[in-house]
Amino acid sequence: MTIVIGFEGSANKIGIGIIKDGEVLSNPRRTYITPPGQGFLPGETAKHHRSVILTVLQEALDEAGLKAADIDCVAYTKGPGMGAPLVTVAIVARTVAQLWGKPLLGVNHCIGHIEMGRLITNAQNPTVLYVSGGNTQVIAYSERRYRIFGETIDIAVGNCLDRFARVIKISNDPSPGYNIEQMAKKGNKYIELPYTVKGMDVSFSGILSYIEDAAHKMLSTDQCTPEDLCFSLQETVFAMLVEITERAMAHCGSQEVLIVGGVGCNLRLQEMMGVMCKERGARIFATDESFCIDNGAMIAQAGWEMFRSGHVTELPDSWITQRYRTDEVEVTWRD
Amino acid sequence: MAACMSENGANGKLEFFLKVPFPTEREANIALQSLSPDPEPRKGGISKSLCVSGQTLSVSWAADEARILRVSVSSFLDHLSLVMETMDAFGPPVSQ
Repeated sequence: MTIVIGFEGSANKIGIGIIKDGEVLSNPRRTYITPPGQGFLPGETAKHHRSVILTVLQEALDEAGLKAADIDCVAYTKGPGMGAPLVTVAIVARTVAQLWGKPLLGVNHCIGHIEMGRLITNAQNPTVLYVSGGNTQVIAYSERRYRIFGETIDIAVGNCLDRFARVIKISNDPSPGYNIEQMAKKGNKYIELPYTVKGMDVSFSGILSYIEDAAHKMLSTDQCTPEDLCFSLQETVFAMLVEITERAMAHCGSQEVLIVGGVGCNLRLQEMMGVMCKERGARIFATDESFCIDNGAMIAQAGWEMFRSGHVTELPDSWITQRYRTDEVEVTWRD
Repeated sequence: MAACMSENGANGKLEFFLKVPFPTEREANIALQSLSPDPEPRKGGISKSLCVSGQTLSVSWAADEARILRVSVSSFLDHLSLVMETMDAFGPPVSQ
């Protein structure tokens, strides 16, 4: 029996989760929400996380019905992410690891998503589409690495969606991506946008600039509604994601797709991916917002796998890093 | 806490020194180990070193500009405060 507590706070969500042998015992989380039209900045986000992290930690222990002594390992997000929030969370993880006399383990954020996705959905060897505000990657496991077959060459798809939400002043509560999704359901008119797939890679910065310009022009002359633009943006960027995922599946002979990351919550993306999988005779896996969105349990789960296969992070090596590539981690817990 | 500032120290840099007493030597070491792994986010223009002597955590900074120094000290104090709050809420340390 192994119990791992995981600390996650690489972006605007702060969460602490506890995993015991594949079971999520607790997973409380808070989100730092900024006013419409604004993104979250690192300093302010870190301040928010500092103000709530010890409360969330106590909640995690209480909900799991555990004492500190019951924990076997303390896992935290080593990276990638925003610098100041990552440091804030790492400092608490280091401190409690020492107070409780437990080993410490630095986890890659992307691998946290993948391992939680695998645990919850039971996908065996899927092609993984990892899509969020900070990351857009198509990943497949091979020879002890989560290999990046395709990715964004500029901004993440979630970043594109979030920035567009700022342009049209959509609420950031519960998340701008969710609010775009709801508005898109009411859209009728498809506005043609740049389609920028580049082999296995994608680019979103041009689409964002184009639709920002279109928003200013078309909304001021009533040529379309904000709902139409939300609909059109989703159709375009999600079709691009489906294409690169399908290309990776074809190259690898994969029969499974797993969507992870915050944008993976989007039901339209899941639907479009589902159609492609059905046509290929493949299976699609996705989690709900409990685990799609950044959370502490995903770090605990990846930490659980890593700890049991021998990974430990010594305190002097426990620095955070804003850039931590998915394929840098040796995956000793898989064949 | 005791702190002192010196202007145009050796090498013409702004320097700042901070001493933080802890209830026990163990707690001072825990704070040191929690606060020392992360390098300064900014490349160049600032350096910081931490050490423990007995129950006291000592920190020294050297910076090219007052603004950079202020940001770094302020950030460190936020982190130090968080370590102390964590120790208050989830301590005392288990016996080794």
